[in-house]
Formats: sequence, C-alpha cells, structure tokens
Amino acid sequence: MSNQSVVVIGGGPAGLRAATTVAELGERVTLIEQRSFLGGTPIAENYASLTPHLHSAEESIGAIVTRLQGLPGVEILTETEVQSLQGEAGDFTVSVSGPGGNRDIAAGAIVVATGFQHFDPGRETQMYGYYEYPDVVALQDLEAMIKDGNIVRPSNGETPKRICFIQCVGSRDRQIGNEYCSKVCCGVASKEAIEVREAIPDSEVFIFYIDMRMYGYWESQIYWPAQEKHHVQYVKGIVTEILRKEDKLLVRGEDTTMGRPMEVMMDMVVLSVGMEPSAGTRKIAGVLGINQNKYGFIDVANPPLDTVSTSRDGIFAAGAALGPADLEDCSSSGGMAAARAVALMRRAVAAG
Amino acid sequence: MGTATATDPYRKVQDVAGFADVPLKEKQRLVDQVVADPRFEEYLYGCYECGICVAACPSARFYDFSPRRVAQAAARRDVELMYQQMQEDIWECSQCFSCLRCPRGNNPGGIITVMREVAVNNGLASAREALEGYSRIIYKIMSTGTQVSPDMLQPDAFPDWGPEVADVSEHLELWRRALPPETHHTTKTGWAVAEKTLIELYLIWLETGALDMINQVDEGLHMILEEVMEERLEEEGIEV
Repeated sequence: MSNQSVVVIGGGPAGLRAATTVAELGERVTLIEQRSFLGGTPIAENYASLTPHLHSAEESIGAIVTRLQGLPGVEILTETEVQSLQGEAGDFTVSVSGPGGNRDIAAGAIVVATGFQHFDPGRETQMYGYYEYPDVVALQDLEAMIKDGNIVRPSNGETPKRICFIQCVGSRDRQIGNEYCSKVCCGVASKEAIEVREAIPDSEVFIFYIDMRMYGYWESQIYWPAQEKHHVQYVKGIVTEILRKEDKLLVRGEDTTMGRPMEVMMDMVVLSVGMEPSAGTRKIAGVLGINQNKYGFIDVANPPLDTVSTSRDGIFAAGAALGPADLEDCSSSGGMAAARAVALMRRAVAAG
Repeated sequence: MGTATATDPYRKVQDVAGFADVPLKEKQRLVDQVVADPRFEEYLYGCYECGICVAACPSARFYDFSPRRVAQAAARRDVELMYQQMQEDIWECSQCFSCLRCPRGNNPGGIITVMREVAVNNGLASAREALEGYSRIIYKIMSTGTQVSPDMLQPDAFPDWGPEVADVSEHLELWRRALPPETHHTTKTGWAVAEKTLIELYLIWLETGALDMINQVDEGLHMILEEVMEERLEEEGIEV
C-alpha cells in the first residue's frame, strides 16, 4: 500500500464503486462527499427502486456502502468539499474543508464522481406549468410518493386515476441547449408507470414520447412488461401544453401514429426530466482545472475507448459527471476510473 | 362518413361508414366481446407502431386500410375507433396474415378475425353488407358440404378461360365422368359427400353456432338452411 491515497470526489453510485475498487486493489482511498450521507442522487432524491430491476434503492446502494466501510484503508469524509488542488499526477495535494476544519490530503490520483442533477422543469420551453399546477410533478417527485407508498394528487390528496408521463423534458432540445438524450428517463418513466399500475390497478397510465430509448435488455426488462403486462399506453407525440380544466389537467399534443390531434384530461402529469451536470460537477471542474464540454459535463479527453481520462493527467472522471448515464454505466466507469487511478499512482511510486 | 339522405341531410344519424351510429355502451359491449375472446391475448402483445405489418399488407396498398391502426386501436382499447373499424376496416383485410411478421409477435389479422366474428355474431350492418354477395356460396357449402359446384359454371362467365368453357358447360356430366376419381362424377356438388359426413357437418354447424351466425346476417338464408338440415336430421332420427 502506497503512502498516498486515491481521492474520490462524490459518494454516489459511481464514487462508491470507484472507492470500493481502489480499496479492493489494496490502496488507500479517501471518499469526499459534500452531503451528510452517501448514496448520491438516488438517495437524495428519494428513489424507491432502481431501473431496470426494481430493487430497493436504499438496499442496493446501502450494500455497497457497507462493503466499502468494511474494507481496510478507507476514509470517508462527509459534509466535506474540495477547496483547491496543488501538484501534479502522482503527487497531488487536495485541500478540503469539512466539519473538522481544513486539511490537506496527499493524493496520487483523483476520481471525480460528482454526478448530475435533474433538469429544472421550470426552464422547459413548452408550457407544462410545473411551478403553477400542483398536479404536474417530475419523475423524482413521483418516485418519492412511490417510496412512501402514497401516490396522490398533490392538489387534493386523492388517488389519481389517469396519469401521463411526458418524455424528453429538458433533453434533446436545441431551444434549451440540452441537445443530448438523457438516456435513463425512458426506463425510469416506464419503471414508475409499472409501479403506479401495480399500486393503483384501476388507473390508466400513458407515456407520451418522441421515441422510446430502451436500449439493450431494458427492452424486455421494462418496456415490454410495461406495455404487455401492465397495459401502460405509449403514445408517440409530445405534449405542447398543459391547461387546467376545473380540477383536471388538459393535455394537448398530437397522436402522431394515429394521425390526429389529441386533447385528453389527466389527474396527474409526470415530467420525465433529463440530466444536467450537478452544481458540484460544474464547480469541481473549475477547482481542479479540468475541461467541461459545452453542456457543462466533464470532458472526456480521449474518446471513445478511453472513457474516464480528463484533460488533466492524473484526474479521472466517472458516472454522470461525464454526461447522462444509467447506474450500470456509473458502476462500470467508477470501477474503470479507480483501476486507472491506482495504476497511475503505482507507476508514479515505482518511478520514485 | 355517411352519405347525406333525405331523412338525414346533415349526416347526424349516420356516422360510421354510412351505418347508423349506436350508443357508446353498445360499442363498449362489442369491444368487450373482442377483448374477452380467448385468442385475443395471444394475438396482441404490445405495439411498436413501427408499420412493418402495413408494409407487408397487400390490402394496405389498395385501400385506406392499416393493420397497424387495428392493432393500435385494440391495444389502446379505443372503443370508438374499434367500432368504426368493425363497421369498415376489418372487411378490407384479405386474411392473408402477412402481418404475422410483427417483431412483437402480434397477429393483426387474427384480431381482425375476432372482430369479424363479433361483427357477424351481433349482426352488424357492415357484416351483412360484406357477406351479401356470398349467400349462394354459403348456401352451397352449408347445405351440401362442398363449395362451388360445377353446375354453377356459366358458359359466358369467364371469357378468359377460353372457348372450351361453353362446351364443358353444355356436356357437364360427361366431362365430370371423365375425371379419374369417382367422387368427382358430380354436377350439383363439388364432389360426392357421404350421408354420414353431411349429417356430421350439420351437427357441427348447429352446435358451434355457425347457423346462428348466418341468422344474424341473412334471415332468409338461415330459414332455408334450417329447414334443409332439420328435415335431414329428422330422417336420421336425431333430435335438434
């Protein structure tokens, strides 16, 4: 074990996997998390279950945390933020501030896993009225209701019988500037649709989409069961606006494959908000002096086969800090970044 | 859309394919019958709305007909649209089942089979109209157990069949006797049907409700067939 640590910044799924992997490879690791708890956005945003397997988020992520805590050479600093960085690859000094004051950490390499945040639907260019209509909610709002086992219309506490999801809110939109697909929303919306149909068997659930992006096994794990077993209705056509009609919501769009305009009443509308770089990701890029792409995510320096190198030698990135990513992506790049960081640190030690 | 008539100048009564509109409750009843059919579940999984069935469909090239729309309407349980399709679209399908190439394993043609049966069983106007031209053939099949018979051949029916048709028609019995299988030495039926087979067919048509279906679309034809069958079955000492 070298005297230096790998510093992992961010305690979500990617950071947890990175830190665990460093420790499993026999090196010291310091995990820095600005929140008071580990688990990242799935835990902070009250995700009930994970896509696509519908396992409990708390249990699945809790298992990695427990594993990490039990490994030698692991230091976990919560409520801690990185203030500055000195040195170079193999010999960094990371200055952090936390509950115990400021301190410097000697780091051979760094893994940035500062993640994403949900797109703020107040910024959408359509007229969905997220901040205007209580019954217009976002994916994570419904997720919290599912976790509580209490899916109700926020306006009156009644059980919603007609619910629709609107896909690509804040994604694939030149007007907004987020030209990318956020990758996970089709799966997450379909997963939540299944959970709603299970919780409210006499409900009707619709998903309005541009095109469904259920790549790989998500097709048969999520999409087909949602349609075939749970009778979720997928309608190709994006809603342009939502209007309040008495105590319901009138949803206007086009049913494109049927070739007709569509105006339907809903009890609740769920906006499938996409991913944007978290505030932490934007900030850390400046602190560490690494490049961001035009959307603010950490830039991959050497694509496509090197998925974790940043513009600065010795600093790797993983997870949704790099751009929209599902949990499998996050775990994979977390492990990859850890392996690359450990390899670099050992080379530096060997070179003296 | 319906046609304007003297009694319905603004097409208020008619709405679907020229047929009178019915209350939503009645449409729902018909759709429920379609969905309740035991075949329905394996004829329709989920629809990508990809259109491969339309691309494969011969009817779609000649009519404003789309097996995709049939599958979609059924998947969405769109009662109004399914009713409209039962009055119109489903009769434009040739039941060739080219649509079976669906990547999801759907069978739009099969859904149409079920919808047609429901349309016939409930005596929908479209079913009567669609089957109108077939009463002679239905009569032939159900009363004799064979299809088109040689004596239905008209000398001038198919000029493109050539001049021999007139001669064959004139000496039909002789020509039929020239055929090697003895069972084909018939003129009033397509082939010889054993008495026992005919009795079994009558019983099948009675028991399966096929005769009741005929009653829904053509009462006159049903009356004739019922008489023929009952008489034959009584001769055999079978109580109906």
